[in-house]
Amino acid sequence: MITYDSVTKIFGTGKDTVTALDNVSFTMPKGEVVVFLGPSGCGKTTTLRLTNRLETLTRGNITIEDQNIMDIDIVQLRQRLGYVIQAIGLFPNKTIAENIAVVPKLLGWDKERISERIDDLLQMNNLEPELYRERYPAELSGGQQQRVGVARGLAADPDILLMDEPFGAIDPINREEIQNEFLKLQANLKKTVAFVSHDIHEAIKMGDRIAIFNKGRLIQYDTPEVILTQPKNKFVADFVGSDRALKVLGLMRVSDVINRKPKNIIQGTDRSQEALNFLDAREFRYGIVIERNRPIGFVTQKSLKYEEGPVRDVVEHYPLFLREKTSLRDVLSFMLMHDAGTFCVVDEDKNFAGTVTYNDIQKAVKESYADEAESGENGVPV
Amino acid sequence: MSTLQFIVDNFNEVMYLSWEHIWIVGVALLIATPIGVILGIIITKHEQFASRVLNGANILMTVPSIALFGLMLPVLAIVNMGLGKVPAVIALILYSQLPIIRNTYTAIKNVPPSLVDAGRGMGMDKWKLLRELEIPLAIPVIIAGLRTAAVMNIGIAAIATYIGAGGLGVYIQQGIARVYPEMILSGAILVSLLAIVVDGGMAILERFATPEGIKVQRKLAR
Repeated sequence: MITYDSVTKIFGTGKDTVTALDNVSFTMPKGEVVVFLGPSGCGKTTTLRLTNRLETLTRGNITIEDQNIMDIDIVQLRQRLGYVIQAIGLFPNKTIAENIAVVPKLLGWDKERISERIDDLLQMNNLEPELYRERYPAELSGGQQQRVGVARGLAADPDILLMDEPFGAIDPINREEIQNEFLKLQANLKKTVAFVSHDIHEAIKMGDRIAIFNKGRLIQYDTPEVILTQPKNKFVADFVGSDRALKVLGLMRVSDVINRKPKNIIQGTDRSQEALNFLDAREFRYGIVIERNRPIGFVTQKSLKYEEGPVRDVVEHYPLFLREKTSLRDVLSFMLMHDAGTFCVVDEDKNFAGTVTYNDIQKAVKESYADEAESGENGVPV
Repeated sequence: MSTLQFIVDNFNEVMYLSWEHIWIVGVALLIATPIGVILGIIITKHEQFASRVLNGANILMTVPSIALFGLMLPVLAIVNMGLGKVPAVIALILYSQLPIIRNTYTAIKNVPPSLVDAGRGMGMDKWKLLRELEIPLAIPVIIAGLRTAAVMNIGIAAIATYIGAGGLGVYIQQGIARVYPEMILSGAILVSLLAIVVDGGMAILERFATPEGIKVQRKLAR
């Protein structure tokens, strides 16, 4: 746990002073990723650098596990906090192994322990140790270098990781991949992570919480869902973007809106006319066809009208099936691509689990914004 | 052809004068290097002295060597060392300072700040940073400074013959005095040859001292 209490940082002296951070207070819970987000010069990086005392506090306190950082020896403090910066932070004169070994060596680990740790970390970051140990940073791609950067930050197994735009210098495709890898890693390691970013997408994806800074002030500190659905003011709303409804969908899963007991179910063995009567009586435009508990497609009243045989012969197949953990953003995208208003959800065994309709999604989005409607008069665009 | 004959005829003397020349330049460089490198490093950490130190070294460079010998003569005469090898070595040490200090300063300054930051952030103190990061990255440029200094000093040492320091300048000076072209040419050619050989040797040293990772980086950047 890291606590920031009335943290203020003023750069310069005399009349050339710049207040980089103004009275910022918040607490980072143990084991969570907190993204420090904001435009450049907002104070997010300063906050990070104050934490490992690369900058000196002007006023206020920072405590780590109830211990004031000013009471900890500066070198010990830094060795306790893993530090990851953009890919350029690797020492070009050292091999990958030597780069990872920096902090363990400072801590005086013996050679074997360091060597084992290097192999573990490389493996953890999807880099083959035999292939990469003796390479130099220049021989690695940007994504690989950044993985080594993460490995180096984790080398001495610190409880806390400070990451300063760690994936900023990587192309979008690799960034996506390395973000996913890091999330997987973090799910096991449960480090307390301070993660500086200027990218709202990254913040939503990586953060358990997001701290939004502007002009040296902490504007809002909340979970991504709350930031997206209830931005505190116009700055936050603008920063998260006018497409924040879509971003909320990115956070929601099929399991949040699934209809597990749809009423328009037809068995594949039913006769077409039977099915037509069934749909007609309940005023359903279409029915979902299931055979041996597996969804095979759908039929509309129109397609059944002149048919005699079993429903399975006239069924129109779905282009794809959803899983419970599919994000609603993807679902919406599928709906647009395939011009479909409904998709079926299946479980691991491809058994029918429920349906998701466009209306379900819209309702969910509306609900998540329900609180905001009340505060709409504060000038927050709804 | 007669120049070559002169060298062959006076082979022992040629070897002796060459050795003397190398000795003066070598001793001067051995003393100048630690002074220059340490000064160069100090001014990267204490920026307020940087321009003063560099300007001082620059002014030293602008003093003609013959004038410098003349200036040192009365001072060193007090301890009875106005002539000979001592003033020559001192002059060469002074002349070496600019290339050595400037190259050290520039090279350490050119270490990307993000790397220094990463090191500090991981808890390296400034000695560790210097030893494990800054000096290894700076070493090729520092040696390039030594190379400049060495080659320049070989030329200046030829003039030091006028204050009785010896070396290959003796042939040039005496050759002129005795109107003996073969002698002048022998001195000139041997000094030039020495400079070329030392320059080449330093180039090899430069390559040898460059960290492997930096070589790889350069090769891939090409």
